[in-house]
This record gives sequence, C-alpha cells and structure tokens, in this order.
Amino acid sequence: MASQVLPQALHMIPRNQVQPFNPVKNRGFSAFLSRGPSPLTTSKVSVSGFHSKFPVGSSFSCFARRGFVVRAESNPEGEGEAEGNENGVEEPEMKAKAEAEVEGEGEGEDEAEEEKPKEPRKPRIKLGDIMGILNKRAIEASDKERPTPDLRTGDIVEIKLEVPENRRRLSVYKGIVISKQNAGIHTTIRIRRIIAGIGVEIVFPVYSPNIKEIKVVKHRKVRRARLYYLRDKLPRLSTFK
Amino acid sequence: MWQFPVSDQVPQISGNRQACGNRFDKQQRTFIQMRTVLKVVDNSGAKKVMCIQALKGKKGARLGDTIIASVKEAMPNGKVKKGKVVYGVVVRAAMQRGRCDGSEVKFDDNAVVLVDKQGQPIGTRVFGPVPHELRQKKHVKILTLAEHIA
Repeated sequence: MASQVLPQALHMIPRNQVQPFNPVKNRGFSAFLSRGPSPLTTSKVSVSGFHSKFPVGSSFSCFARRGFVVRAESNPEGEGEAEGNENGVEEPEMKAKAEAEVEGEGEGEDEAEEEKPKEPRKPRIKLGDIMGILNKRAIEASDKERPTPDLRTGDIVEIKLEVPENRRRLSVYKGIVISKQNAGIHTTIRIRRIIAGIGVEIVFPVYSPNIKEIKVVKHRKVRRARLYYLRDKLPRLSTFK
Repeated sequence: MWQFPVSDQVPQISGNRQACGNRFDKQQRTFIQMRTVLKVVDNSGAKKVMCIQALKGKKGARLGDTIIASVKEAMPNGKVKKGKVVYGVVVRAAMQRGRCDGSEVKFDDNAVVLVDKQGQPIGTRVFGPVPHELRQKKHVKILTLAEHIA
C-alpha cells in the first residue's frame, strides 16, 4: 500500500470492520457518520471515505463497509507528494464503492487546497521515478570530482585505485573489460588479466571514490557483451603488458 | 477449410531447454571445504594438498582463511612429506571475495601457502599473485615474499 512505501507518515486506519447482516442500517450509518471527524486532533486534513446509502436487501458481500481515515502528518516537504497520494488513495476507494458521499469528498478536497501553500502546480514526481532521479544525481556528483569515460566491453583499460591499506602509492590495474553491469551508481565493470601466470578478475564499481583514474588504453573488437569465453581460452588472449 | 498448422514457428521444446540450460551456464564457485584439492604455491616441497578442515566458517574457507590440509603430492626432497597434516593459508580462491569498497576479486584457481601453527610460512618463496586481504588477516610475511600483490 502507499502508506508503507512513503517515508512520510501517512496512516490508514481501518475505521470499521464489515458490519453483520442486519437489515436495520440507518441508525448504524448515522452513528458512524457522527463519529467520523471527532477523534482527530491533527491539524491536517483527514479524509474519510465512506458510504451512507445501502440498497436495502441487496447482498452485503460486495459492499464491504470500510471507512478509512487518512492522516498526513505535518511535513511541509512531503506535502505535495502526500497530497497527491491522498487523492490517489481516495480515487480507487470511490471507484470501487457503488455510491459515495459526494459532500464528504468535496469537503476533503477543499480543506486540502486551503492547507497547501499558495504556489504554482509542480509536476508530480511519480513513485517509480524516484530511484532513477536519485541515481542520476549521485552519478552527476561523482562525475564532478572525476569524469568517467564511456566504457564498453572489449576496452582495455587502466585503473588507478587508492587502497586505504596500501597508503604509499596508487595501485594500478590493467586489463580487458569482460562485462559491464549497469545499476545506476553501482555500475560495475569486470576486468580480467593474467598476472604472474594466473588469471585474475576484479570487479570495480565505476563511480567509486577510491578510483582515482580510469583510462581506456585500447579497444579490442568483440562480438559479445560478456566475454566469459576468455576464461577457457589461452592465457595469451588475456595478457596485457 | 481447416488446414494442418504449418510449423514455421519456434517449436515448444527448445523454449524449455533454454530455461533448463541457463541454470548451469553461470559458474557458481563455492567455498573451500573438506576434500578440496588445492595447489601449493611455495617452495616447501608439497605440490597438492587436500583440505580436511576449514578453521573458520561453517560452510568452508574463503580467500585469506586458514585451513588444515593433508599433503597428497610432494616433491621428493622437501620440508614436508606426503601424508603429513599441515596448516595452510588460502591465497587464491576461485570464489569471489568482496572488499569493503564494493569491488570483488577472484582468481582462476585455488592455491594455498603452507604455514605452521603460529602462522609463519614454512617455505621461503611464494609464487603467483596474492590479494591484499592478507594484510588485514595479519599474514604480512606472505605478502612480503609474494611476487605480485593483486
């Protein structure tokens, strides 16, 4: 549910369980209505979705009567998102139920408009875009300190790495890129090289602050995205001076 | 008129085979455990040892860990003989080992350097590359003898 995803506290409290099958409904409704806004002490808007009318004698199973009180805690940053989500949460409720109280919905929206600070309407950031935006920002921040060249499989690269244990000098790693995994800020490349007769593969996160320099020395024409076949081939193919 | 369906589409069987084959395409290397045969890369006299116990770790030993091994193959005149039970430090493992900065290192083979109970190497030379995880595990002597630090 939306309430679990958002960091801002957006609580949805099931107001009432499904009522038993009794034909006498009106009393129950009015009591429910009157109970609605009273226990709320928060300054923010609370939208209660409920219906007031049930056709008498119809099956109750379709209309599970459940009212939700949506509370958004006072958080000025998340206001835009919270408000957006409130509306989003309202809508499926209204659609799912056969008849909805129009007044109640109207009231809720008016209060929401009042509470929002007077500013032009911003484009809504959808939930699915957040990680993409965060990753882009992080990549830009790391690019400012050290520009990263465009790396592709088959490039022969030289990486200068600062290892905190080896404080004296930068370690140099040279080799062929046999794979590149794109994952935003944790984009990694796998470098293979034959060192002292033994094949070594090291995975480097490209945007790591420990990497001081990446330089593409040469490029080898390959017709694959992952060159795992080099592991079975002659060591000569993975040797780079 | 009903016609026999022409089979110019991809047959169903190959789809299934693809799904089964993928599981074994990716090499998944695991820990060094009992019965793992390792190469010895120092000049202590042994050539191949078989691990009989990984000292730390429930599933097995990784890069930089110590193991107890039994010598399976040895040079005729060396410091250790065949059948001797020795301690060893894993210096190369086919299983990747993650480092604290997010990088991973893996080698093409499993190799070990024989040490005594105190952790001092028995041999006087170490061949091949060694990772610098050994520094954190306090195997500084092996690092100084090494040809190349990966």
